[in-house]
Amino acid sequence: MYRYDTFDRQFVNERVAHYREQTERYLAGEIPDEEFLQLRLRNGLYVQRLAPMLRVAVPYGTLSSEQLRRLAHIARHWDRGYGHLSTRQNMQFNWPELAEVPDILESLAEVEMHAIQTSGNCIRNVTTDQFAGVASDESLDPRPYCELLRQWSTNHPEFDWLPRKFKIAVTGASSDRAAIAVHDIGLAVYRHTDSGVCFDVYVGGGQGRTPAVAQLIRQGLPVQHLLTYTEAIMRVYNRYGRRDNKYKARIKILVKAMTAEGFQQRVDEEWAHLKDSPSTLTEGEIERMEAFFRPHNYPAAEAFDLGGERLRDQQFDRWVRTNVTEHKVSGYAVVTLSTKITGVPPGDVSDAQMEAVADWADEFGFGEIRISHDQNFVLPDVPVARLSELWRNACEAQLGAANAGLLSDMICCPGGDYCSLANAKSIPLAEAIQRRFDDYDYQYDLGSLDINISGCMNACGHHHVGHIGILGVDKKGAEFYQISLGGHSGEHGLAASLGQIIGPSFSRATVPDVIARILDVFVAQRVEEETFLGCFRRIGMEPFKQQVYERAA
Amino acid sequence: MPLEELGMILALNDRTPSERAMVPQADWAADGEDGLLLAVDVEPSETLAQAPLIGVEFPAFNDGRALSLAVLLRTRFGFTGELRAVGDVRPDLLHYLVRCGFDSAELKSNAVSASGALVSTGFNVLAPYRDNYQASVVESEPAYRRVRRGA
Ligand code: SF4
Repeated sequence: MYRYDTFDRQFVNERVAHYREQTERYLAGEIPDEEFLQLRLRNGLYVQRLAPMLRVAVPYGTLSSEQLRRLAHIARHWDRGYGHLSTRQNMQFNWPELAEVPDILESLAEVEMHAIQTSGNCIRNVTTDQFAGVASDESLDPRPYCELLRQWSTNHPEFDWLPRKFKIAVTGASSDRAAIAVHDIGLAVYRHTDSGVCFDVYVGGGQGRTPAVAQLIRQGLPVQHLLTYTEAIMRVYNRYGRRDNKYKARIKILVKAMTAEGFQQRVDEEWAHLKDSPSTLTEGEIERMEAFFRPHNYPAAEAFDLGGERLRDQQFDRWVRTNVTEHKVSGYAVVTLSTKITGVPPGDVSDAQMEAVADWADEFGFGEIRISHDQNFVLPDVPVARLSELWRNACEAQLGAANAGLLSDMICCPGGDYCSLANAKSIPLAEAIQRRFDDYDYQYDLGSLDINISGCMNACGHHHVGHIGILGVDKKGAEFYQISLGGHSGEHGLAASLGQIIGPSFSRATVPDVIARILDVFVAQRVEEETFLGCFRRIGMEPFKQQVYERAA
Repeated sequence: MPLEELGMILALNDRTPSERAMVPQADWAADGEDGLLLAVDVEPSETLAQAPLIGVEFPAFNDGRALSLAVLLRTRFGFTGELRAVGDVRPDLLHYLVRCGFDSAELKSNAVSASGALVSTGFNVLAPYRDNYQASVVESEPAYRRVRRGA
């Protein structure tokens, strides 16, 4: 993984000093509230319903064991003993004191971490595939290019005050686990036989109240042009994106207004001036970055047959089927450690769990951990022969649930319990659904099913791309939930799609039953091993609608 | 004292701020002596870039269009006169302005001394960072072309 050099260290230390100085002046009454708000957001500090929230950047979701231990320390020392894995692969702390945040940032800087640009109208943490570098369906590890983008976008003089927040995602695999189609810029990276490393560039995807699938505006962009081309996109957006209405300020609205062709033309005109400028990447810099992410030196693992262990223990067998993913290197496996235990808010992890995961990363791997956008931990390099040992440890630490990708592995935003923007609570609803469907056999039979819950239109819970999406809405002051079906973020080689709303919204108490009825239709209509999504795409909305509303009426 | 009366024109680099008047685009002539006051959403051009002094007006301190306009005037239209930030300009954002090619800023407070240090704490708001990753108007090359990275 990437390691800071003197340059990075100097910059991050100066940033901490800068923010400390600003915090002190704010507390002394020298910076007006509305201005300090913007400064603190760019240093990760949000003020939510109950308390401030600090969002720590986990660049492209990759962490070292040392870094995770530091996060555990922060949770213990400055928070209430837990942290929260966000849907953008970051770690959030819910109870820091505003005056102590500079100390937290200083502690992070010691382990090469920061919270820069994790909030505010600027370029946010670049996200990617949680299986980057180890996925068997990957053509190229996207992380070197994520890091190049991270450095380029950090404290950018021209693009730190955009019309709205800006999210870039990169994928290098055939199954798009980074959901690039719903990002402001989505990049698909691959190696072309003639032109080397290339990008297909998509713009204008997004969730929120006007969801949109990103449009392809450039195919086969050679890697050396990555930054200048991105600069051209950013300049067009910074100049022409709307600033009069925050709901119309994302780049997707601009792309729609200009049309994808019009936008592309504008970007190309801009790029004509920037192409081959000094910001063009040098071969040396590209190689330097790629070297950080070279595959580990995998000791040859003996061929190991899990069959016996799986036969003996049905629980283990199920966990292997749901939470273990094929590794590029034979003899190794990629393990998803689920945080989705009934009764625990999705993504919440205690300091002890963080310490445990850090220890396993050292013991069963190369000291590396990933955070997935579905709010789980991933251990990327576990020898197959040691899976059962890891699994037993994980069960003891409440991280061994065999539900990755299943119904109870929900994506869920903090919602009304924490977030001041919420229309409705989302965590208690997730728990009610987990309780209603606590039978793992049933879940396993249903197969791959993404239920995504957002507490409001901002869509932090990615409800538009849930196979079943749930959105908190306000109905005359009461909390209601709108349900959509058929959303998909672009995994497993299928094109991304946005969910369609099934009809009028439901009260919280009825949602688990409504989901049961939806699943009844699926179970009755599915053909062989068809997934929920496949079935929905085949039979359409009508049968679901009938079952849900006729029975409800 | 009302804030406006505390205002000052701060030099962001070695260039001494001009005392020329600035007039809106409608009243400005390329062959005249006046400086030009531009709105952030204006399309820059070579004609406009002939002005001896251009003031870019920030309608709000967080309106980043002013930054792109400055970069374009400097890097695309060859503007070599004095570039001044006016309107809602705040001390804590001056470092972005410096890197986007502004020479001076009209501040509605006297919180910053002529050297760019905050009067209250002495902190240098013009250059909080010794170096930055990217190229900018004042630093033509990105760090990876200038410094040995990886050490
Ligand atoms: S979706 Fe809405 S309620 Fe949920 S975290 Fe985001 S802003 Fe808050």
